[in-house]
Amino acid sequence: MRKFTVVLILSIGAIARAQTPQELIQDAIQKQQAGDLEGAVAEYKQFLKLHPEATAIHSNLGAALAGLGRFEEAVPEYKTALRQSPALAAARLNLALVYYKMGRIADAARELARVRAEDPANGQVPLLLGDCYLRMGREKDVIRVLEPEERKHPEDAAIAYMLGTALIRDKQVEKGQLLVDRILRNGDSAEAHLMLGSAKMNVSDFAGARDEFAKAVALNPNLAEVHVLYAKALVLTGDSDQSSKEFKAELAVNPFNFDSNLQLGATSRQEQNYEQANRYFTRALKTRPGDPGVRYQLALIDLDEGKPDEARQMLETLVRESPQFTEAHVSLSIAYYRLKRPADGKREQEIVQKLTAEAQAKQPGAKAQ
Amino acid sequence: MWLASTVGAGQLLGGRGASGQPQPLFVEVPPSASGIEWVHENAMSPSRYLPEALGPGCAFLDFDNDGWMDIFLVNSGPSDFWTPSKPVRNALYKNNRDGTFTDVTEKAGVTGAYFGMGAAVGDYDNDGWPDIFVTAYGKCILYKNNHDGTFKDVTEKAGVATPGWTTSAVWFDYDNDGRLDLFVCSFVDYSGVRKLECGNNQIGRNYYCVPRVFKPTGSFLYHNNGDGTFTEVSKGTAIAKALGKGLGVVAVDINNDGRMDLFVANDTVQNFLFMNRGPGSNGRWIWEEVALQAGVGFSESGRPRSGMGVDAADLSGNGWQDLFVANVDHEMFSVYENNKDETFRDAAQAHGVARATRLLSGWGLKYFDYDNDGSVDLLLADGHPDDMIDSYSMQVKYKEPLLLFHQGVDRKLHDISESAGPVFQKYFAARGLAVGDYDNDGALDVLIGNNGGAPVLLKNNAAKGNNWLGLKLEGVTCNRDAIGARILWKAGVKSRQRLKNNGGSYLSSHDLREVLGIGSAAQIDELEIHWAAPSKRIEKLTNLAPNRYIRIIEGQGVV
Repeated sequence: MRKFTVVLILSIGAIARAQTPQELIQDAIQKQQAGDLEGAVAEYKQFLKLHPEATAIHSNLGAALAGLGRFEEAVPEYKTALRQSPALAAARLNLALVYYKMGRIADAARELARVRAEDPANGQVPLLLGDCYLRMGREKDVIRVLEPEERKHPEDAAIAYMLGTALIRDKQVEKGQLLVDRILRNGDSAEAHLMLGSAKMNVSDFAGARDEFAKAVALNPNLAEVHVLYAKALVLTGDSDQSSKEFKAELAVNPFNFDSNLQLGATSRQEQNYEQANRYFTRALKTRPGDPGVRYQLALIDLDEGKPDEARQMLETLVRESPQFTEAHVSLSIAYYRLKRPADGKREQEIVQKLTAEAQAKQPGAKAQ
Repeated sequence: MWLASTVGAGQLLGGRGASGQPQPLFVEVPPSASGIEWVHENAMSPSRYLPEALGPGCAFLDFDNDGWMDIFLVNSGPSDFWTPSKPVRNALYKNNRDGTFTDVTEKAGVTGAYFGMGAAVGDYDNDGWPDIFVTAYGKCILYKNNHDGTFKDVTEKAGVATPGWTTSAVWFDYDNDGRLDLFVCSFVDYSGVRKLECGNNQIGRNYYCVPRVFKPTGSFLYHNNGDGTFTEVSKGTAIAKALGKGLGVVAVDINNDGRMDLFVANDTVQNFLFMNRGPGSNGRWIWEEVALQAGVGFSESGRPRSGMGVDAADLSGNGWQDLFVANVDHEMFSVYENNKDETFRDAAQAHGVARATRLLSGWGLKYFDYDNDGSVDLLLADGHPDDMIDSYSMQVKYKEPLLLFHQGVDRKLHDISESAGPVFQKYFAARGLAVGDYDNDGALDVLIGNNGGAPVLLKNNAAKGNNWLGLKLEGVTCNRDAIGARILWKAGVKSRQRLKNNGGSYLSSHDLREVLGIGSAAQIDELEIHWAAPSKRIEKLTNLAPNRYIRIIEGQGVV
């Protein structure tokens, strides 16, 4: 991933009324440049106590905190900077990168979209934004963002790979295949095998896809999503042990990969390792906040752990948001029965029956009666 | 090396042959040795009508009361989508008491007339002779035993000519009046849609429609009137209201209240657990369907699965009945442990059953103590319903292996199939499965019905070295087959108990005798038979020598 852009503000005369603060800032900047991030953070904070209105210093402090991996603290600093100076594009880009590192992909995408709108010339942003959309499963947005870039930079393998992946996932296999061919012309690359694997997955050639992904992993284990795709193919070819290893390998590269966290969480839940499952699902939710599938899994954990009231609350919200979510109605009914609320349980059960009957009525065998 | 020496579950016994080499736990007995030459005709057509894919069932029964298990095999037959070009019939094989069988079908008069599915054996008229109920696509048949090696079709007179497409059935006494009643699973409404073709798959041919596309139906409960007739009593009850696609059923007392409940496995819709609540104030019997709240209706992720085979047994030895359901591939099978409050938890993952069955589709199955060590084990017969699955799936195959699980001292089921013998390395389009001791050696053998193929008879070698006692229970006040009786026994320091359930598996019927495994214990110190209601009798016997069958009559003890 890209390194954080350190916005170093050297001209602080306007805000430094005394020699001491000015020296403080200069010293902080020097420390940051020299890699003494802890020292820089302390001095930035000291300065900001005197001059909280110093927009650029909030941004600098954010960068130093991010450098230390203290993302939760960096976010409010960037936000303060942007509240004071909304047009500070570098701060917004850095905020997006912090969100990305935190696995808050949706937040990262939102900020990147704003940077892109305000600074269309920034060549770094479209690829980052496309990557976020790809991780969010928003293939059409990937295509929207990257197609113009691909026309401008036809030899850029990264763009071709990401756009090709999105096209194939979006069932635009022929267009995706053109990009695959382009990558393939450049030799035996991880990207090429990844795309070939994706294409094979789309036509249910799971064993073929598995073999392609295995080659991609061997060539470049750090390629984005290479492990998760390999893992999915392994699941579909019945190798659950190896698939778990690959999902974990993906998380070693990208701790907030949604699919890996969801799958490993579900596996952990099945194995009744609820603490671990909770950790995976919580991280998955950071990537896709509010994802109903993950929230449903968390509710199932509550049910499994004998906490039907907690499950009920989550499930009631889910069925309110998605009235056709049959599985959630099933689990909500169970929660009510466990809470000794048989009338509510029966009501949910009747909803399940109604939804089931509606689904049955759409089947061809029913129409032929 | 077929003897599984250790599987983290204790020593498994396979015995040794004359050469001193370990023997397989189960050995396939070929037709040339058994004399069972019959082959199932599945009537597979280019249109792929779904009934073709679901049979056949099979049964162990002692139809001539000579103390040796005979074999009944169900075949397809004429239907509204198929006219056989040559005669197709069921098969009844008489046990010659020397490991071979003789086909007596024609003489016995049980050839069948419809597109047969399964068989349920029970002594519905309490005359001491087993009768046979044959389910079918078309119409069922009830064969009453004439006590002379022949049967009479009494379907119409008895009032059990169940229409539509019926699958598994079970005899049990739901109202504790001492007479066996009959529950019949109904599968989908196939009338008028048999021309529905599911095709355009990746190899461009018709394939068997997923049952999801067909309408569900209500199953049937027949009350035994005691005069050779039955009355259909499900109307107005939860049984009739619960529309399902029933394939497997087991009669079992879930809550230990002395009334037999019913657990039904449904395909692509939720399973049903019908709790027997006894008579209502209006005299009508009350059934309550509780599968959802019991945790056995859906997967733990709230989805209906494709339930096919079922069984029930006290797996953990705590006096409460646990359940099992075999599902289709990628759904994993279910090991439902009883929470003792009419709810269950699925322990398939903890037992290793989930992992072992992930790519399999299960039909016939049985919880039984194959090695007579006293703990309940498990045998599964598998096969994918779609004969073309190999063409478009990399992993799932049409023919699948049998799976054998041994219960270890850790109370977990351990998959020992790889070390159980060559037959566990073979692949079958298995459907029905029945368990019975055809050679009276106390080791329960296995019969498997294969779709479009010959049945497989497995001789059990796994129980050698362990002691056992075989029981033939005969009710007097309670039903003659003693379905619902509770058996408690003590051998050495170990006390065990068993509820005499009925049904289970898929389309099939087991040896009604009970074999009690006692491991290395020299005798059964104490044996109690708690006869099923309406009997209140408890038979108590002590110091019983092992390795023999005994006949116990309610109120008379060993005779």
